[in-house]
Amino acid sequence: MKHHELTYRMKEKAELVQAVVTTVCSMEDVLRYVVDLTLRQNGKSLVAPCLDSQNRQVLETFCSAAGLTFLHPPLRNHLTDIHTALTHADWAIAETGTLVLNSASEDLRIATMLSETHVAWIPASRILPDAVALSDRLIETMKSPPGYMSFITGASRTADIERVLAIGVHGPQTLHILIMEENPS
Amino acid sequence: MIQTAQDMKTYRDRIRAALENRFLRKALDNFASAYKVSRAKAFEGIDLETLKDQIATGKDQALTQLELLFNRFKAEAEAAGAVVHLARTAREANEIIAKIGRNNGVTSIVKSKSMTAEETHLNDHLEAEGFNVTETDLGEWIIQLRHEGPSHMVMPAIHLSRQQVGTLFGDVTQTPVDLEDIDRMVKVARKELRPAFLAADMGISGANLAIAETGTLGIISNEGNARLTTTLPRVHVALVGLDKLVPDLSAALRIIQVLPKNATGQALTSYVTFITGAVECGASDSGKKILHIVFLDNGRLDLAKDPVFSEALRCIRCGACSNVCPVYGKVGGHTLGHVYIGAIGLILTYFYHGKDNARAIVRNCLNCQACKSVCPVNIDLPYLIKKVYANILKDEGTRPAKNTVLSTVMKNRYLFHSLLKMASTLQKPLVQKEAGVLRHLPFIFGKAHEFRTLPALAKKSFRDQWPKIRPQIQNPKYRVALFGGCVVDFVSPEQALSLVRLLTRYNVQMEYPMGQSCCGLPAMMMAEEQTAMAVAVQNLDAMDPDRYDYIVVLCASCGSHLKEGYSRLLADTSEVTEKLRCLQDKLIDFSSFMVNVLKAAPEDFLQNQTRVAYHSPCHLCRGLGVTREPRELLQTAGLDYAPCKDEDVCCGFGGSYSLEFPEISAEILRQKLDNVENTGAEVLVTDCPGCVLQLRGGMDKRNSRVRVQHIAEVVAENLKDP
Ligand code: SF4
Ligand code: SF4
Repeated sequence: MKHHELTYRMKEKAELVQAVVTTVCSMEDVLRYVVDLTLRQNGKSLVAPCLDSQNRQVLETFCSAAGLTFLHPPLRNHLTDIHTALTHADWAIAETGTLVLNSASEDLRIATMLSETHVAWIPASRILPDAVALSDRLIETMKSPPGYMSFITGASRTADIERVLAIGVHGPQTLHILIMEENPS
Repeated sequence: MIQTAQDMKTYRDRIRAALENRFLRKALDNFASAYKVSRAKAFEGIDLETLKDQIATGKDQALTQLELLFNRFKAEAEAAGAVVHLARTAREANEIIAKIGRNNGVTSIVKSKSMTAEETHLNDHLEAEGFNVTETDLGEWIIQLRHEGPSHMVMPAIHLSRQQVGTLFGDVTQTPVDLEDIDRMVKVARKELRPAFLAADMGISGANLAIAETGTLGIISNEGNARLTTTLPRVHVALVGLDKLVPDLSAALRIIQVLPKNATGQALTSYVTFITGAVECGASDSGKKILHIVFLDNGRLDLAKDPVFSEALRCIRCGACSNVCPVYGKVGGHTLGHVYIGAIGLILTYFYHGKDNARAIVRNCLNCQACKSVCPVNIDLPYLIKKVYANILKDEGTRPAKNTVLSTVMKNRYLFHSLLKMASTLQKPLVQKEAGVLRHLPFIFGKAHEFRTLPALAKKSFRDQWPKIRPQIQNPKYRVALFGGCVVDFVSPEQALSLVRLLTRYNVQMEYPMGQSCCGLPAMMMAEEQTAMAVAVQNLDAMDPDRYDYIVVLCASCGSHLKEGYSRLLADTSEVTEKLRCLQDKLIDFSSFMVNVLKAAPEDFLQNQTRVAYHSPCHLCRGLGVTREPRELLQTAGLDYAPCKDEDVCCGFGGSYSLEFPEISAEILRQKLDNVENTGAEVLVTDCPGCVLQLRGGMDKRNSRVRVQHIAEVVAENLKDP
């Protein structure tokens, strides 16, 4: 499958499970997106545990300009006050609209579990057709433990009361996926 | 505390109470209908049969080497910083976990969903030891607050209404909750449970998979509570049944591909988590998670070696066998299981929770095969259920009197047939003349049986009519033998007479081998395997397949028993293997014979377009896998076939089942007949004389204008004269 087909499929399947999917062109787009989203949701705080230092500085500047608190690791100190978590995803699986995050880092886990809104960006080239296409890479990671690998498909959900679907039980209430198109030019 | 009925009287009382719960029935019915649609959709474009075979074969291989897989898992996981335990019994598992708690100074525990922990009654044990335990899966939390067991393996609180949950939450939070607003209730749970996560010292999870090659746990969940449970507290204990061991990641991925789709029709759960070893954890002094993995044997290693029952360990706990079970749909999980629910529950209860808890529930199976056809790992659930029943009868050393009588009579064909003849005379005062039904049921039947009329035995059985009516065909196209079965022979000979008419018209020489007897399925249903085997041998003697081109059955149950049941019963009788194979190759159901062999054509029939509905007998559509031919035949025979909701759901007959559990049978039948009446059909057609008996009795009782007929009858009625 061509990249744009995989991107299309990924978007379609992720939207079926209530994820919000957007295509972006640069890291700056990503950073602006989380800040805007947090403001729109009346959030007060933001974490970005796996961001490189250069982008983190940019994000921190955006945050202070927007009046948002940028929370620093270790995130165990902020378990109850994370509004938005920005992370990358290592891979995505188009067949089911799934993000795959190597979550060995505790900060990454806390960010993706205890935030109200999770925003993940993924390079389009890292979208794979199905889980089988991922298995070699998964095995590789599992063979260098310890490890905590997460497949995330949509927001946290339940149908435990009368089988009525309700979103946002224990995990994030919304999931945003930013697919980054690498620009060949 | 779970209290499962241990005798039939208590069990019948429970069933009656469950049947009064109209909310439950409605909820389960809606779920069953929605489930079928979403499951089909989820599997679109996937070669499910191949996938099922792969998973089942993989599981079977794993089961022969559980100890090896365990050792590999242990080595890998311990190298990655985990401690791996093996608990021989449920009690041992609970004690190991309590000890881990004590050794680590734990006071409060959060738990994510684990059927294995339900199996060991872990919460009771931990609470008695003074730990504070909070279930965090929404459904589990609800039933924990209500002090109940789960009523479904995947949706533990499916038996409760939003109002019940809302009221409960209102009591717990001391704040009134809008009784209609499910979203709000979910948010209440989120808010109430968050502090428990934050305060917990220990998290207990189950695992759906244990991958031996890397020592990895695989956990499938939707709510996100399993992730929090395995992340926030400094100690993580996973309690895992040994049967969850798989050799490698590809085996795990195959199961993950199927499980959520088969469970609820969801393509994939929100979260799939793979944990390998002790990951970083800021709450623990060492900066590493204290990870203990407790594997539970509790009979699994023995079970894995059992030639018959080991296949029960293939179960991946998707719960689908409950979703499609007509009995589950009427009485719910608390009445159809102990800890494990539904078809697989009827089996596992015996092995994990003892014969006392299994004794009554194991009888509550119609043998409709719906569970078997939906099971993603091809477990022959109805067969194993009967086998468990047989084991219990053996353990207890006493058989119900009716079993002894049935066995004695059935083994001796002459006795059996003369008793039936005698009964036909004796019943005369009870028979309502024109209708051919029993006017009064003999007093041994109680009021509960009045949901349908029972047919009278025919004045003259088919076998007694046969010598006089046997047609002699010149240069026949085919020679076929009819395997009649008891109902056709003694209750509904008119169905066989219709066949005679049709076959004559199509130039087929029919025979009725007189040495044939009951197929033996009723004996199997009562777990009398020896008797079933004896009659199988008699029938094989009576029906010499070499003499016929085909052996036709009018009864789908006989047909599927001859096909599948006999292979199993006579597996060790090598001198008949060849003959049996030959008979099975020639065995064909009526509709397939008409459509595929005789190539019945519309011009042979009056095209009167009578509107008919169709009931697809369990043993035809699932037992013999025949679904297209009967529907095609109806249309060929000039009838207007009106599709009906749930055509392939059991009619509730199940042979002796309807006598043992009349209230459930009545309820299943009621729904079936409602669906049929909604089609506006004049005639309800089916191709199993047992179903005819049940359906006709039910229609008769409700004074419906819908006639019920065997497909051979309606087809013969429309046959044009040559
Ligand atoms: S055979 Fe039918 S009645 Fe028996 S457990 Fe399976 S689905 Fe339920
Ligand atoms: S027996 Fe089969 S259908 Fe039932 S829960 Fe287990 S895997 Fe699912």
